[in-house]
Amino acid sequence: MENIKRPSGIINRNFFLHIHANRVHVHSMKPTSTFGLGIILGFLFLIMLLTGVILMIYYTPSVETAYQSVKDIVNVVPGGRIIRNMHRWASQGMVIVVFLHLLRVFYTGSYLGGRSLNWVIGVVLLIIILLSNFSGYLLPWDQLAYWAVTIGSNIAASARELTDLLGITNAFDPGGFLKKLLIGGESVGQPALSRFFTLHVIFLPLSMLILLGIHFWRIRKDGGLSRPVRYADDKGSTNKWYAWPVLMWTELGLFLLVVVVVLFIALLADAPLLEQANPSFPENPAKSPWYFLGIQELVSYSAFAGGLLIPVLYLVFLFSIPYRDKEDSYVGLWFSGKSGLKVIKRSAAFAFLLVILQLFVMIRFGWLRDWFPGISQWFVMLINPATITGGLFILMSEVIRRKRQSSRMAALALFTSTFVALVIFTIIGIWFRGPNWEFFWSHNQWPVI
Amino acid sequence: MERRSFIGKAAISLVTFAGAVAAISYLRQFFPRLAGEKRRIALGDPRRFPVDTFTFLEEHKLYVYRDHEGIKTVSAICTHLGCILEKSIDGFECPCHGSCYNNEGEVQSGPAPRDLAWYSVRRGADGKIVINPGERVSSDEKFLSS
Ligand code: HEM
Ligand code: FES
Repeated sequence: MENIKRPSGIINRNFFLHIHANRVHVHSMKPTSTFGLGIILGFLFLIMLLTGVILMIYYTPSVETAYQSVKDIVNVVPGGRIIRNMHRWASQGMVIVVFLHLLRVFYTGSYLGGRSLNWVIGVVLLIIILLSNFSGYLLPWDQLAYWAVTIGSNIAASARELTDLLGITNAFDPGGFLKKLLIGGESVGQPALSRFFTLHVIFLPLSMLILLGIHFWRIRKDGGLSRPVRYADDKGSTNKWYAWPVLMWTELGLFLLVVVVVLFIALLADAPLLEQANPSFPENPAKSPWYFLGIQELVSYSAFAGGLLIPVLYLVFLFSIPYRDKEDSYVGLWFSGKSGLKVIKRSAAFAFLLVILQLFVMIRFGWLRDWFPGISQWFVMLINPATITGGLFILMSEVIRRKRQSSRMAALALFTSTFVALVIFTIIGIWFRGPNWEFFWSHNQWPVI
Repeated sequence: MERRSFIGKAAISLVTFAGAVAAISYLRQFFPRLAGEKRRIALGDPRRFPVDTFTFLEEHKLYVYRDHEGIKTVSAICTHLGCILEKSIDGFECPCHGSCYNNEGEVQSGPAPRDLAWYSVRRGADGKIVINPGERVSSDEKFLSS
């Protein structure tokens, strides 16, 4: 009697055991299976919620007072500076860790074996994290905020570049529609601030919370974390351990570690706050936060192609991965073994060379408009490093699909190459672009303006 | 039975219809109704602008150019992604992604998809000189302020 009652009693009383199965496979417990990245993300999200509520109490979402209220949080509210710093650094931590989590899930083939829904939810979470960062960015109403969001909202409107070329903007203007929905007007002002505030404190966190619930629930529903096929039918007890209490202590320890790290960084480094927004003078260079500088680099080739077309294609690719690749034999296997590793290395090298070569040409010799002044915008939009890179990557991955007869290898190639390109464009945007978005080897060479 | 199933279907259709109308009107609220007409801008005394120079009207994000013939105004907003242009020696330069325009507002380099917009300058009914951002003109049209 006692035996039957105990486990379920624990489950009912214990929130922890609602998240984990009663018994967890050894493979899932190995640190190298997940590196704990998803859990860390969850903890960071918790920090975001806790610090965010405090910030919300002291912040006022009005263009007149927003900036001053953030200054007050930093200088007047006791402990406010630490709270704000934690909020900022944890949010950037989430961006980094969500991409690491994406990498780990992809390279272990963990979208396979019936996990496609959870992968899709994951991609939505990724988008929500980026949107949360973007909307949070506007709230301090400083120069960075104002111009990053001005640029961002115009990227949303950049479908106009295409509709203008087709001459149909007056009749059909999806770009303007999207921009109006986003910022509630033609330029960034109070309506934009109100909208972003609502998105940032209600809509996005709530969506994230709900999706996270489903995300965690799906893991159990899908039969636990992914594991290699050799463990597939491990129903026996030897390879399954009780989650309670070892896993709980490990995760509690990890939580404390995450808090300590965020707290430590928050004590050392202050979140930036520039001058108050000035709608007449952008900063020069007007750089968005670092994780968007890859896109800003693409946008500097063409607003529509770099800001909308390529990012949307990338997201479509991410969403479609589990539906185009169903080679379940690779599930739970890091890098899909030796042949996978070879594909990864080669496509990374290809991506690196291709992107660097184009950047070299562009920075050294200019691009179409410098060679053929007055060239049609069609060419500027359709032939640039963003579109060429994307096109060739798709081509490469199709060639690999044909040659190897493997959708997993094709996915590895496309995922790896696009990721390498994203990293390079981001690095260029962060460290090698200066005033007027010109190329500089280092910050020291920037002209004094 | 016939009648009952008819009433049932009608009820369901009605509820669906009402729901759809409610949903659409609700979603419609997310799109603000903006005034279509752009506000005219009083230029003031043209003599306050130095001759042969582009003067930046900060508040309206415009450059006003005046020479001995007359006056004209061009938008200072980059057609790429909306940053404010700086005046360079022979045109305009965007600090955000480096688009360059000449003094006629034509794109010279960079990602900007369109030339800058020139706005009409006219004498209004009350005799004051006004800029009308709703009316586009060509770059060589000037308001002749005798
Ligand atoms: C707010 C963001 C996210 C949080 C908090 C989160 C959390 C988690 C957690 C705790 C796990 C358990 C395993 C682990 O720790 O790695 C997990 C697994 C998983 N995540 Fe996420 N995740 C997020 C975003 C994403 C993204 C962006 C993707 C991919 C597009 C994704 C796809 C998956 C999949 C497919 C699994 C199952 C992996 C397996 O069965 O081995 N998640 N997630
Ligand atoms: S906003 Fe002017 S070049 Fe991008």
